[in-house]
Amino acid sequence: MSSKESCRIELRTAIRQLSDRCLYSASKWAAEQLVGIEQDPAKFTPSNTRFQRGSSSIRRRFRTNEITSTPPTGVAYVSTPVMEEDEAIHGDFYLLAKSYFDCREYRRAAHVLRDQTGKKSVFLRCYALYLAGEKRKEEEMIELEGPLGKSDAVNRELVSLERELATLCKNNTIDPFGLYLYGLVLKEKGNENLARKVLVESVNSYPWNWSAWSELQSLCTTVDILNGLNLSNHWMKEFFLASIYQELRMHNESLSKYENLQGMFTFSNYIQAQIAKARYSLREFEQVEVIFEDLLRNDPYRVEDMDTYSNVLYTKECFSALSYLAHRVIMTDKYRPESCCIIGNYYSLKGQHEKSVVYFRRALKLNKNYLSAWTLMGHEYVEMKNTPAAVDAYRRAVDINPRDYRAWYGLGQAYEMMGMPHYALHYFRKSVFFQPIDSRLWIAMAQCYESEQLHMLEEAIKCYKRAANCNDTEAIALHRLAMLHRELDQPEEAAFYYKKDLERMEAEEREGPNLVEALMFLATHCKTQKKFEEAEVYCTRLLDYTGPERETAKSLLRGMRIAQSGFPSMDVEHFHP
Amino acid sequence: MAGVVKAPGAFAITPHKVSVCILVNIYASPSQISVPFPFSSVSQHNRLGLYLLALTKSCDDILEPKLDQLINQLREIGGLLDHWLTDHVTSRLSSLSSPDDLFNFFNELRETLGGPDSGVMEDDQVILDPNSNLGMFLRRCILAFNLLTFEGICHLLTNIGIYCKEAISSCSSYELRRVDDSGNDFESLSEDENMDLNLVFKKINEEMEARKRATEQVSFHLHLPKELSTLVEDIEVSADPKSEHNDKGRESSSYASGELLRDVDPNGGVFLRTNWQIQGYLMEQADAIEKHGSSFTLNAFELTLRQLQKLAPELHRVHFLRYLNNLYHDDYFSALENLHRYFDYSAGTEGFDFVPPAGCNSFGRYEIALLCLGMMHFHFGHPKKALEVLTEAVRVSQQHSNDTCLAYTLAAMCNLLSEIGFSTTSGILGSPFSPMISVGTSLSVQQQLFVLLKGSLKRAESLKLKQLVAANHLAMAKFDLTHVQRPLLSFGPKTSMKLRTCPIIVCKELRSGYHLISEFCCEGSTMTADGAFSTAWLKNLQKPMGSLVLSQDNGSRNNYNPFLFFTQPSSIPGSVMQLVGSSYLHRATAWEIYGSAPLARANALVYATCFADASSSSDAALVHVKLIQHLAVFKGYKEAFAALKTAEEKFLCVSKSRILIMKLQLLHERALHRGHLKLAQQVCDELGVLASSVTAVDMELKTEASLRHARTLLAAKQFSQAAAVAHSLFCMCYKFNLQVESATVLLLLAEIHMKSGNAVVGLPYALASLSYCQTFNLDLLRASATLTLAELWLSLGSNHAKTALTLLHGAFPMILGHGGLELCARAYITEAKCYLSDPSFSVSKNPELVLDPLRQAADELQALEHHELMAEAFYLMAIVFDKLGQPEQREEAACSFKNHVMSLDHPHDVEDPIQSDTLLNA
Repeated sequence: MSSKESCRIELRTAIRQLSDRCLYSASKWAAEQLVGIEQDPAKFTPSNTRFQRGSSSIRRRFRTNEITSTPPTGVAYVSTPVMEEDEAIHGDFYLLAKSYFDCREYRRAAHVLRDQTGKKSVFLRCYALYLAGEKRKEEEMIELEGPLGKSDAVNRELVSLERELATLCKNNTIDPFGLYLYGLVLKEKGNENLARKVLVESVNSYPWNWSAWSELQSLCTTVDILNGLNLSNHWMKEFFLASIYQELRMHNESLSKYENLQGMFTFSNYIQAQIAKARYSLREFEQVEVIFEDLLRNDPYRVEDMDTYSNVLYTKECFSALSYLAHRVIMTDKYRPESCCIIGNYYSLKGQHEKSVVYFRRALKLNKNYLSAWTLMGHEYVEMKNTPAAVDAYRRAVDINPRDYRAWYGLGQAYEMMGMPHYALHYFRKSVFFQPIDSRLWIAMAQCYESEQLHMLEEAIKCYKRAANCNDTEAIALHRLAMLHRELDQPEEAAFYYKKDLERMEAEEREGPNLVEALMFLATHCKTQKKFEEAEVYCTRLLDYTGPERETAKSLLRGMRIAQSGFPSMDVEHFHP
Repeated sequence: MAGVVKAPGAFAITPHKVSVCILVNIYASPSQISVPFPFSSVSQHNRLGLYLLALTKSCDDILEPKLDQLINQLREIGGLLDHWLTDHVTSRLSSLSSPDDLFNFFNELRETLGGPDSGVMEDDQVILDPNSNLGMFLRRCILAFNLLTFEGICHLLTNIGIYCKEAISSCSSYELRRVDDSGNDFESLSEDENMDLNLVFKKINEEMEARKRATEQVSFHLHLPKELSTLVEDIEVSADPKSEHNDKGRESSSYASGELLRDVDPNGGVFLRTNWQIQGYLMEQADAIEKHGSSFTLNAFELTLRQLQKLAPELHRVHFLRYLNNLYHDDYFSALENLHRYFDYSAGTEGFDFVPPAGCNSFGRYEIALLCLGMMHFHFGHPKKALEVLTEAVRVSQQHSNDTCLAYTLAAMCNLLSEIGFSTTSGILGSPFSPMISVGTSLSVQQQLFVLLKGSLKRAESLKLKQLVAANHLAMAKFDLTHVQRPLLSFGPKTSMKLRTCPIIVCKELRSGYHLISEFCCEGSTMTADGAFSTAWLKNLQKPMGSLVLSQDNGSRNNYNPFLFFTQPSSIPGSVMQLVGSSYLHRATAWEIYGSAPLARANALVYATCFADASSSSDAALVHVKLIQHLAVFKGYKEAFAALKTAEEKFLCVSKSRILIMKLQLLHERALHRGHLKLAQQVCDELGVLASSVTAVDMELKTEASLRHARTLLAAKQFSQAAAVAHSLFCMCYKFNLQVESATVLLLLAEIHMKSGNAVVGLPYALASLSYCQTFNLDLLRASATLTLAELWLSLGSNHAKTALTLLHGAFPMILGHGGLELCARAYITEAKCYLSDPSFSVSKNPELVLDPLRQAADELQALEHHELMAEAFYLMAIVFDKLGQPEQREEAACSFKNHVMSLDHPHDVEDPIQSDTLLNA
């Protein structure tokens, strides 16, 4: 990786160039990274430190290994950008257009630039037209909506834009920003292959445009496509890879990339949030909570990614924290899908499912392809016992992203609730296919097999085994495995799993009926196997508990003593009649 | 969105409706003369009125006609006025350039309507009654306009602009526009992209061609629940040319839309599609898919569906059609995916026409999903999985007390059990059946099937599901045909059991199937939803005018049968026709088994002529197979192969079809007769491969293949091997309860032993076979068993010749009346042999008694090219002539004998195109 200073210079230039072209979210992103770079201690000023107060102990607490900022050797990086600025003559028009653009008067902006030929002007004109078309499309979508869903409202500028950009592209008079826009248009028109090609070209010649990377990411739905991309090396590529790995559910790879990047961009809120999301996917909730708390302290008005935080709070059942968060985001921006989602989560936690559905619905109105809202709404419907609606909601989630294992799981659950375990299996199978490391999914599938209608215990055992192999936090699998084996009259296997379960319970210092049951079984099993010493150990442990088991253990012990002491005497009798 | 039912969209105003309004305005312009200005005669005026009536009746469109289509229609209706009308409409439309123009236009319209008290007709003045059809239409339009927001008016205005521009620029031709578009596209795309698109385009074109060939017309059968139709109302279609092309493959999408237009109405003349019509179209396509199987083209239809889905994302039926399409193209994964998707979205409450819509609870009908899934597994050859799913379907429908679904599920299960050989169902048919099968724990599959059938029939009858009742009767007949009914439990000392099947019961069951058609005839009209009428309206309107309908359709109409010539759409539903047809098919099969060739043929012919259009392709193929087999047995191979050729042309695309199987059977038989044993074995092996393909083992075919294998071995004189094969086959038949087949196998065993010279061993087999035949009333097989028995007696020595002859004469009426060529010839030869070996019979006294049957036999065998038997006949003839002292004729017969023996030994002299063909294909 290039040095921090060069990085900083690159980013500063890029921010200027990006905001000059009204690519605001990209420039926002770049600026976030810029201040994320650790300041040179020599230039430390009080104003700088304000952004970096997060460098507290909390932040570093979960840093597993100290990351050095030295890049892997043998990798060549693109040098600092030198973008020639071509506007000198008609700069005034450009300024006017940009101000119009900033006031969201897109068509006016485009009109001002109608005769300009500079690359920058052409880009801004096209971009303005594109946005105007998008805006109109959204409006029309609402205006024309019928009972059978949307009518096919389209961005009417796409055709002319595509034609113009294609000509520019052919004549080689297009800059990376133009390429980005061309890629966007192509994607919208459904020409994904070409769009990918164009976007790759764009990011290769100008890597600091995060929007281009994001578009590219949305076009890479499989690892194979990703590997087929011909991307030149730049530190921005690391960001891209980290992000896409997360999308492709390669959480560990993603996490390590982000942690690597954190070496350089130590104080980047973005990276922090992404790490939190990755850890969330790995179900490390404690750490995620700490990260988000820290993040909110630094960036109190942040709404992005806060839905993940609310999910964590939900699972941890932190009522007040969740309500606080909800209050906070609603004060910041009420009409963000994330905000609605957080409120929905809060109501769900409070058990007010109808209200929760209202908010999820609002989130979906704001963004129809908001995946987690569909899934969460499905959960709410399940709670409300409105299974058809739940199925519908889950199905929509799945159709938006077929790899959303939660929705598949939800579908399976809904059908299981309706007493159709066999039908539900299809969905559970899908869900474990996309997320084979989640023990809950395997357990759900196993329970489905176990249901009295199916009663396919062999299959259930297989599923529980898978569940036990991918750290089953609630420790259901081992216990069920032992029970099933006992039911199937396989005492050896049952003993094996009881023993494992016992070890685990001991390690986690858990007590309860399961423990007693395991001890009980093992004691009797060892006794029948004539392993008296072992049996005695289990029996004596049982004596610590009250209840009928204690009496049984006592009698077992007594029986064993008699048997042990009885043997020699019997022998004697045998030989000396 | 889930859980929320949006209010069904109101009547929306569209450019097309505006033009209809303009026309109405012309029709009823407020003037004082009886025939308003542009019209020259009353009839002309009335014709426009009728046309407008038809137009307004189909105003709930999913896709509305474009302006140029409207103009085309006007051209036909308007006659002389055509130009004036079109000019007026287009100029009026193009004069609407600002929202205010629209306001004024609708204000004008209001004047056309009479006041509420316009019951008093002023003489000669044309005033539209506000309560008439046209008046209602105008009022609805005006109301819809008044309800529009300003944005809505703006949209209407732009849409009108596009609507007009399109008509002008398109020159009323799709081709032109398509070419135009592709031109633009190719320009902007890089080279490789270009290639791809070209390929796609070409492929689609090819498919389109194939499809054209494949699609035949099906009349509309609409009987869908009302709630459906309200769901689909108001789909707005912007007529924007850009919107049509925002797909990646531009041509393909615009093609698809063209395709859709054409598809929805293959008649070409009618453009209007109501929402009901779309539903009807989907149902029609579903029928067509089922009927044509894999000859229905996958991609073209997929494109149509995609287009449809884009237009109406909430019309979930599309997923179901997609499922069907994938199902019949053997795409397991997509089929599964789409099935699940459909039921996830629709909760099973959409589109199943046999459920009464009123009783729909809010919990969905997921049991139907299970039923469909079960049938899908069955189709793909996973009988065990299918049974599991159906079991769950039974449980869930019991739980939700959906008796209809339960009845259908039971029927599906019966079908499954009878089609696929299960040796045991233990562990599959579990707990949910305990109430039904509580009688005994160790019931055989057949017994379970019987219980299921009975239960299903009773349920269907009590629910008054006529089609299901008929289908159950058919299944029952099938069961009775091949199974002996024993009491499920017999108490006490041996109760007298009559171990026979009863043909009368079979006939009764089959006959009760027919009642269906008469019932549907009398109440057919109530089954049709009004939606279909709007098409009928326009069709009727256009027919007498000799429009596009007939000129375009000439080609495809040739093979129409009289049953489908109904002018009204309220005909007998295709499914009913199919059921009734299949009862004929069952009859043919029953007679085949019982041994009455003429009746079997008659029924097959009835089916082929009357039900060909309603039948599925596999049934149609089956009937052809039956007829061709009949030809082969009674007329020889030459004719059979000629017929096969035409049949093959007709059932072109079906790969693993009955036709192919039958071809192999014919080839095998002929090879055996000619003595091409190697070829016979090869063909036999092929049959065996077909029997256990990827999709489950076909028991029937498997027995057939090994039966033929044994026959081949027998012909090759490898007696012990043949006996071994036949023996294991018998064991299998016994295990799977294939009793009819057992009789055949036993007879074959008897024959093997006879040919190997162990007549004594053969006798018990022949007798066993006879008793089987008696039990199942297999008269023809019984006759041939008797013949074998006679042959066995004869080979025991000349002193048994009398016994043999008596047996033979007993069987003669049956053999001569219903037997095929080979059987007759064999009987004749055996008769001659009996006479000859009888010591008390002298040839010289009564030569014709021997010579006549021999000559007959030789004649009949000629067609079959059965060298072995022919040689035998000529040999016997030569002996007779020798005894008669006629050396010339003796030499002649001996010469023929020699020829046949030679060709039997050197089978490869004859070349045959068909055989080499098959082997290449295989």
